Amino acid sequence: MVATSNSGNQLAKMKIGSKGHVSHFTDCCMACKLLSMGILPGTQIEMIRSAPFGGGCYIKADNLLIALRKSEACCIVVR
Amino acid sequence: MKPALSPDPEPKIALIGNPNSGKTSIFNQLTGLQQKVGNFPGVTVDKKTGTLELSNGRQAKLIDLPGAYSFYPTSKDEKMVVQSLVQPGNENYPDAIIYIADVTKLEKHLLLFSQLKDLGIPVLLALNMADVAEQEGIQYDLEKLSRKLGAPTLLLSGRTGEGMSKLKSMLVDLLDEAPVALLNSTKYRLAPEESKIINQIQAEFPGYTPYQLVLMAHHVKWLSFLNPNQKTLIEQAISNSGFQDLQMQVEETMQRYDQFTPIVQQSREKDSLHEINFTDRLDDLLTNRFFGPVVFFSIMLLIFHALFTWAELPMNFIEAGFGNLSTFLQSHLPQHWLTNLLTEGVLAGFSGIIVFVPQIAILFFLISLLEEVGYMARAAFMFDRIMQFFGLNGRSVVALISGGACAIPAIMSTRTISNWKERLITILVTPFISCSARIPVYTVLIGFVVPPTKIGFVSLQALAFMGLYLLGIVAALLAAFVFKLILRTHESSYLMLELPAYRLPVMRNVWLTVWEKVKTFTVEAGRIILIITVVLWVLSSFGPPGAVKNAEMAAQSSAKAKKLNADDTQDLVDAKKMEASFAGQLGKFIEPAIRPLGFDWKIGIALITSFAAREVFVATMATIYSIGHQDDEYSIHEKMANQRDPVTHQLIYSPATSLSLLLFYVFAMQCMSTMAVVYRETKSWKWPLIQFAFMTGLAYLSSWLAYMWLS
Repeated sequence: MVATSNSGNQLAKMKIGSKGHVSHFTDCCMACKLLSMGILPGTQIEMIRSAPFGGGCYIKADNLLIALRKSEACCIVVR
Repeated sequence: MKPALSPDPEPKIALIGNPNSGKTSIFNQLTGLQQKVGNFPGVTVDKKTGTLELSNGRQAKLIDLPGAYSFYPTSKDEKMVVQSLVQPGNENYPDAIIYIADVTKLEKHLLLFSQLKDLGIPVLLALNMADVAEQEGIQYDLEKLSRKLGAPTLLLSGRTGEGMSKLKSMLVDLLDEAPVALLNSTKYRLAPEESKIINQIQAEFPGYTPYQLVLMAHHVKWLSFLNPNQKTLIEQAISNSGFQDLQMQVEETMQRYDQFTPIVQQSREKDSLHEINFTDRLDDLLTNRFFGPVVFFSIMLLIFHALFTWAELPMNFIEAGFGNLSTFLQSHLPQHWLTNLLTEGVLAGFSGIIVFVPQIAILFFLISLLEEVGYMARAAFMFDRIMQFFGLNGRSVVALISGGACAIPAIMSTRTISNWKERLITILVTPFISCSARIPVYTVLIGFVVPPTKIGFVSLQALAFMGLYLLGIVAALLAAFVFKLILRTHESSYLMLELPAYRLPVMRNVWLTVWEKVKTFTVEAGRIILIITVVLWVLSSFGPPGAVKNAEMAAQSSAKAKKLNADDTQDLVDAKKMEASFAGQLGKFIEPAIRPLGFDWKIGIALITSFAAREVFVATMATIYSIGHQDDEYSIHEKMANQRDPVTHQLIYSPATSLSLLLFYVFAMQCMSTMAVVYRETKSWKWPLIQFAFMTGLAYLSSWLAYMWLS
């Protein structure tokens, strides 16, 4: 579930308004944090919008609203 | 009732839950203690305790632990939770736990619960937000949940108070349960590496559950109760067993989700209708790329406008009231120095404290309203990128904004920033943000620099006022940038912030915050202000033996020589007497250092007393100048406006001096309490001293430049 292979898309590259499901994470440390907040493989993710001054994004994971930095969003691979 | 079976005469109950589970609202409901409740994740930075009246008439100690997502912490707050629960002898180790979960997000909120279950402490599962669940049509089979999760379960609401009495009676049952034998297993399947570690170290830790031993292995680096021998033992066990910290964390977490997710799904009778989502629609505007920041700055402008205009009437009322009381007392009490102490010292001091209550109340009313509604987390999200540029964190925005009220709670709120460098920089620059204690100084001085004209409906003085705030913000950001370049770190930094759903504020919580802040200001700061006011009155009324008398005679003869009229003579005599007093001599001692900034020795006295607390400035001025005049009806501002140099007859508070003084108060570190808090938060005197040096240095430099430019 934590892998560095490049199957799927990075969450950071998702278009605004598009949806997907978490496939895996590319960083173990970040994965631990995301998991404890309830972002798991299989969780539905919707890209809501990017931050006003760039750099971050606002996502919906199931019914949870979460703000992520670009570097954090890059660790989530979506299919 | 079987009190004999309870382990402690006053049992300890911990309140635990994820950030945004509404834990603090429930704490308020249960204890009635005044405490801050907010929507920003992790607002509970300190451990709060209260006394809980149980339904059988007994009392319990309720501990409100910081919000945490799991036993794998990244912030200081979350570490506190782990530290309290891993060590059975810890002072916070509870006899029972109330676990608060948001019933509308149950699948996300049970991870920590399932970890708690493995500690062997009796746990009660309280599903919060019953009112929201009802609105959204969410419904669970509580009996089924309770049975499958192995904990008594109930539905309640911290907002409406629903379910509180039931919670109290369930707690009695929970505490009365016969003490269970030490838990010797875990709900999740241990990895072979973890079992190996437990076997190797459990002899050293009798009375610990297996899961506590596993957590010790994960957190051996920072758990402070472990002695060096124990740490070595655990570290050896880790290397013998091939235990991998992160990998085990992920595996444990996934297993736990796999266990409880089906239970949650099977117990759910009705799911949310997902109709129109109010939060989504509001966030379309409030976090919009363009309108988001526009709304943010409009809100800030509204706050400053409110501070200036809404507070004016009550402030005038308070000032007039104290003025009348002072005149009344002076005309009805015998002429004696005690009368003067009462009217010119004590009453003037009280007036200087009470007059700022309206502004403080308005500021905290608006700030806690924003927190309650859930807006603060959005501000953190919007400004994270900019904050990162300056070496700060999106969460720093909340500290910087709270710094507009008081740097002390703001600095304490930085504990939610897990990266040490970002946290330290936030702590160092937050006091640059103009706090409420500067408002009195600004209010008094701004009229000497900017005329009271209006552009449209905004007064020029209000704009200048906002300018001073902006100056503080700019200084904070620039200083942060400099620190970003200087300080080094290897820690990683996170935003990863949960944005709570917008909710109508619970006004009870807002009023409690306002009341608490006003009380703190009047009691804590007010005490210092009052003491300093009286000390100053003594210092400025008395001097070295004979000095005051000699000064008076010298002034009278010089007035005669200049053929001054009676009023001017009295002014000159008063000024000369003041100059000869202890206070005058102290001010004169530092005058050479502050002369380049355009300050005289009277301002010098105010600067000295301001290092105790900035708001003392105004009280000091009141004391100094009410001694110079007999009439007390004038407000401090008018008194200062009429001050002229007794020899040159030039205005003392010229625009140049006033601007220079304003800049000094914007930048200088003049708050002993803040320095004490910085010491506490950084665990070293190095940082408060560095902070004092660079802030006061910048203040001196900018005041000097401003004075040179204008005079």
